[in-house]
Amino acid sequence: MDNALATKGMFPVFRRSGAESRTTHYCAGCGHGIIHKLLAEAYVDLGLQDRTVIVNPIGCAVFGYYYWDVGGVSAGHGQAPSMATAISRLRPDAITISYQGDGDLAAIGLGHTLQAAARGEHMAVFFVNNSIYGMTGGQMAPTTLVGQKTTTSPLGRNPETDGMPLHLCELIDALRLPVYIERVSVADTGRIMQARKAIRHALEIQRDKKGYAFVEILSPCPTSVGLKPLDAARFVTEKMEKEYPLGCLRDRSAEAPARPAPKPWVRLADFFGDDGREDPHPAAHDARERHFKFTGFGGQGILSLGLVVADAARALGLETTWLPSYGPEQRGGDAQCTVVTSTQLIGAPAVEHPELLVVMNQAACEKHLHTVRPGGLALVDATVRVDPAQIPQGVRVVQIPAIDIATAAGVPKAANVAMLGALIALDALGIPEQLLVEALERSFAKKPALIPANRQVLQAAIAHCRHHGLAGELP
Amino acid sequence: MEERFEPPYPAIEADCCKSCGRCAAACPKGCLAISERYNRYGVKAVAYKGSGCVGCGICFYNCPEPYAIRIVRKGGAQ
Repeated sequence: MDNALATKGMFPVFRRSGAESRTTHYCAGCGHGIIHKLLAEAYVDLGLQDRTVIVNPIGCAVFGYYYWDVGGVSAGHGQAPSMATAISRLRPDAITISYQGDGDLAAIGLGHTLQAAARGEHMAVFFVNNSIYGMTGGQMAPTTLVGQKTTTSPLGRNPETDGMPLHLCELIDALRLPVYIERVSVADTGRIMQARKAIRHALEIQRDKKGYAFVEILSPCPTSVGLKPLDAARFVTEKMEKEYPLGCLRDRSAEAPARPAPKPWVRLADFFGDDGREDPHPAAHDARERHFKFTGFGGQGILSLGLVVADAARALGLETTWLPSYGPEQRGGDAQCTVVTSTQLIGAPAVEHPELLVVMNQAACEKHLHTVRPGGLALVDATVRVDPAQIPQGVRVVQIPAIDIATAAGVPKAANVAMLGALIALDALGIPEQLLVEALERSFAKKPALIPANRQVLQAAIAHCRHHGLAGELP
Repeated sequence: MEERFEPPYPAIEADCCKSCGRCAAACPKGCLAISERYNRYGVKAVAYKGSGCVGCGICFYNCPEPYAIRIVRKGGAQ
């Protein structure tokens, strides 16, 4: 037997309220603190502290990560079960806990709650039901009792307009996969001891990988219910328990099979093949991550241009991403794509500040020109009026009559290819011309008849740039 | 400072107490009471009457504050 009884598994100091604070932010007599202690004691006693992750809700318990000395994250309002799903699946060895109040779990998050329960996710959900919205100031919740006065039901909850209280344990008991469902209370000593057992059992189920456990905990909220601490505890027993009877609705933990060992993860590189990555092209010497963005309207070949560049970079042996973005219109809406190339694995395909921006119409110029990073290049079609005031410091703008060059060659739709010619002439991509031309021709693999005309546009654009002294003088 | 008594006794960190009274109401021996002393937050903290504690831990489990009460038992570290 222990010779002392003290809180375990919580931080010795709660930094939220100053460097020396050892008190929570909860009101006097709030049930959260009692439950926090029980949960912390359980994961310590079961030896699970080092692999426990608690997903905090929106609500009074939002600051749980200041108190529990385990992994902690916060989810968007009501979304804790979905975040817990991700954690539980990505880290099958984790003890995943979702800790939520009734506003979070039963109102805005009801869909997340039921879907996670229906899927039988491996998590313990602790549902703190105090019959009211606490943090926001005592509004009516789905769990508010009939006749209970709140700031939004000042005459008492009226079933004719407000419906009847929502019974979460009973709702979840209608689903097939949950393993353990119990409703407990922290209103007095006997009930606290029962809650302690239920919380430990839910964690044992996680430890043994048996599946989904749901523990509803009736808890006093003196402030929002408007009662003194001891009266609020009495309200839980005398009023809430009439609506929400305590007890175990289901415990299949003994017969539930343990979760099978997860399959090993497959790296994307393994999945797609390394495609010569081990032996990059001799020209792939630039170790830096390069960020390109291509913009215009749908139908101008913006996405295709980006794809050709990405394909050529791939042929060069670089890691490459291509990320398109376009409106719901088939033609005519905003179109853009980003290309990132690197000799290293690429973390994210998003490009906020490109070093190279290709602009094919006025709207794209106004939208994107200011995002080009200093030292960068904006290649803008000559039909676009560039406001000098909009050019960021240190950015070079080169206007190319891409649309005119393509039109003169009799293929107006090949303006994107004219832009590619300019990119080659300016050596703006760091990719050898040969690889870009081959990638362009690969893009016409299904329409080989178009290759000669496009090659002609490409050469015309390169000639135009050289004629105007625009060549190889780029960042 | 935390007061010391003959074990077993409830060791009370007065600055953590919010004066909710759950512990005093739950104590089967009636050996806890809200004191007249204010803590640094201006709350009248609970205090041990000095005798009667049997070390059952009921006050600890009823207390919502992690560090307001711990139980010191015979032979244990103080």
